[in-house]
Amino acid sequence: MRWGVGAARSIQRLYKEPITAAGVFITFAFLLIAILGPVLAPYGANAIIASDARQPPSAAHWFGTDNLGRDVFSRVVLGAREILLLSGLGTLLAVVSGTFVGLLSGYRGGWLDEAIMRTFDSLLAMPALLLALLLLGTVGQSRNSILAVIVVVYTPIVARVVRSVVLSVKTKEFVEAARLQGETQARILFREILPSALPALAVEGALRFSYAIFLVASLGFLGVGVQPPSPNWGLMVKEARSFAVQIPWAMYFPAGAISVVVIGVNLAADGLRRLLQGES
Amino acid sequence: MESFSVKSSQKRRLWTLALLAGLALLLPACAGSAPEATQPGEEVAIQAGEPSGLLRIAVQPIVNIDPAFISSDPEVLVASSVYDYLIDVTPQNTLEPRLAREWKVSEDGLTYVITLVENAGFHDGTRLTAEDVVWTFDRLREPGSGLPTENLYSNVASIEATGEFEVTFTLTEPNPFFPYDLSDNHALILRAGTEDANTFSNGSGPFRVVAYEPESRMELEANPDYFQEGKPRLANLEFIFFPDQNAQVEALRSGQVDLVMFLSTDLYNSLKDEPDLVPLEVATNGFDLVRLRSDRPPGDDPRVTQALRLATDREAIYQLVLQGYGAIGRDSPIGPMYTQYYSDETPLPERDLDAARQLLIDAGYTDGLDLVLHTPDTGNRPTLAVVLKEQWAEIGVNVEVVVEPESVYYADDGWLEVDLGITGWGSRPYPQFYLDTMLVCGAIWNESHFCDEEFDALAELAGRTMNEEERVDAYRQIQALLIERGLVIIPYFFAQLGAIRDDFQGFAMKPFPGRSDLAVVSKAGP
Repeated sequence: MRWGVGAARSIQRLYKEPITAAGVFITFAFLLIAILGPVLAPYGANAIIASDARQPPSAAHWFGTDNLGRDVFSRVVLGAREILLLSGLGTLLAVVSGTFVGLLSGYRGGWLDEAIMRTFDSLLAMPALLLALLLLGTVGQSRNSILAVIVVVYTPIVARVVRSVVLSVKTKEFVEAARLQGETQARILFREILPSALPALAVEGALRFSYAIFLVASLGFLGVGVQPPSPNWGLMVKEARSFAVQIPWAMYFPAGAISVVVIGVNLAADGLRRLLQGES
Repeated sequence: MESFSVKSSQKRRLWTLALLAGLALLLPACAGSAPEATQPGEEVAIQAGEPSGLLRIAVQPIVNIDPAFISSDPEVLVASSVYDYLIDVTPQNTLEPRLAREWKVSEDGLTYVITLVENAGFHDGTRLTAEDVVWTFDRLREPGSGLPTENLYSNVASIEATGEFEVTFTLTEPNPFFPYDLSDNHALILRAGTEDANTFSNGSGPFRVVAYEPESRMELEANPDYFQEGKPRLANLEFIFFPDQNAQVEALRSGQVDLVMFLSTDLYNSLKDEPDLVPLEVATNGFDLVRLRSDRPPGDDPRVTQALRLATDREAIYQLVLQGYGAIGRDSPIGPMYTQYYSDETPLPERDLDAARQLLIDAGYTDGLDLVLHTPDTGNRPTLAVVLKEQWAEIGVNVEVVVEPESVYYADDGWLEVDLGITGWGSRPYPQFYLDTMLVCGAIWNESHFCDEEFDALAELAGRTMNEEERVDAYRQIQALLIERGLVIIPYFFAQLGAIRDDFQGFAMKPFPGRSDLAVVSKAGP
């Protein structure tokens, strides 16, 4: 009920906040591109048209072609699915696992809380990219390892956010009342406490999503986790970097796609935060 | 909802990152146009006489200093400026006398007599004699030393000083290429009894080291007592070490250095039109080799390899991967650089997708074939892998490309283990090396597990005969045989690319750029 009303109100609000609207628009546009990729792309992601190599943007090739004659527009469009799917799925998994750990850690407290939080602190002390490289070096490089990396890197952050909500809520009367009624721990955690954490989780999730896009692209740029000829935007930038002087478009478009989608998701997350804060 | 905790500082950081990423994109575009266009000075007649001018060379940092251990181009370039060879190899792969004035081979091909120049000396003032040569080569061939040259000179039975300036090498088996072996990269002559070869204190070469800061720079000055008249022509050399090739090129653009070599095709293209630079391009016999192991499935059926060869479009690879530099390969390591040995009389079969598909079906792969293609991440190899993937997809071969750091690819002989791989082979002054190490039955680096009696007999003949006509004919037959039933794909031979500032003259880059002769370079103008 509350959420249904909220949704209607938030659409209204989008009209008043053009920046948020832009963010939401960009996010949905890229999601649409990811879904419709194969329909939108005029060429295959890896189709080599040798005679068209190194062409500047034109009617036939909107974003030009790269050193091998692959259509940059098609590669950017088709690359959207991989990068958004990997980062989206990774973020979702990280949010779920972070929520579980955060709820448990915050509610139970004591040595368990202490042990989990100190472990997470030590993970957080390491820069995300460095941690990701270390993990990929150990578990081997594949799509699944990238997912695992996103989960490991972002679970602690999500867990901390959830835990802080739990800590402030667990002494409230409605939680006490549930406990006195003899509710199970799982019920208390998921029915009583979790709803209070949802707005924070939504914002955190959106924010993590934009970070995850950046992380997946960075890993592609560093050449770990993805193998050519994948149209991963980061890998495309890496491959085009050495031709930056002769065929700059092969680098600018995938790099631009990374920037635009990250900024878009970030604007949307920012709007979401203000929206939810306003509500409370 | 008071516990709401989105960290705005974090968010700001992400914003900054996104903006920085955008800005970073604009940088290369601006960087290119920076250097001021200085008018090249008028041509000044080069006069023999006092050496003058400074040449600054951008190279990767060197690690090995002892000539017995040097391997990278920069290491060889530095060492060969300080020391000297008996015999050198010209950019055209012919032999050129250096410390050896002349050399004679006995009719049975077992004895080589080397006559040394008499006016060569070390930087410490002592005369270079036969004793130094004997000492140097005894060190290089010492059994159990583990030196890279131990195997190369294992065919040498004895080395004797048969005069103050005469050395006699006796071989156990005839080796027509022995003078080339004497000019091996490591065969720089040291002073007899040198205890520590890890300093540049005492060479006999055209330059001597004045200052060396590891990983930063090395300064050299002309050796005034160098034995060759009129050399070196430069008064000073400076090696400036850059680990990154892009940085080397930027340094050249901005006038910080004068010479850059080992360029990728793309960096070379970006420099080609700079007004003050002379592009350098030299054909080599370096190549990338694609091979499928033939000692186990799926490569144990020769029809599979044959299908892959027929599905490979060499012209497209040459244009896309090498952008027209270098030469198209014909699946034999004897490339066009060896003008006297190269033969193109046997045509390479045309690309034929139908025939290739049929071969796969005959071999039992009616639903296509899945292969994993391993390649090191260096040079043009990843690009070649991607192009092959697309070309072979047309006959139903599905390739998964695995790009590995070079150190991983070659570690623990992993490159010999994988089924399907791409390996880079460096340029050599003569072709026998490739046959003996890569294609003869059971050779140490026989990646494809090729084994053919007729081939082995021809390779043996070519490597032993002292009759040049016989050798030319054997090499011609070998090339025809490899086209007919070879197991390797050699799609191209690459060129070495570089650029030098246009006020320098006389620089001739060699197929192994580290062996380029810096003593003949001169600088015009003041």
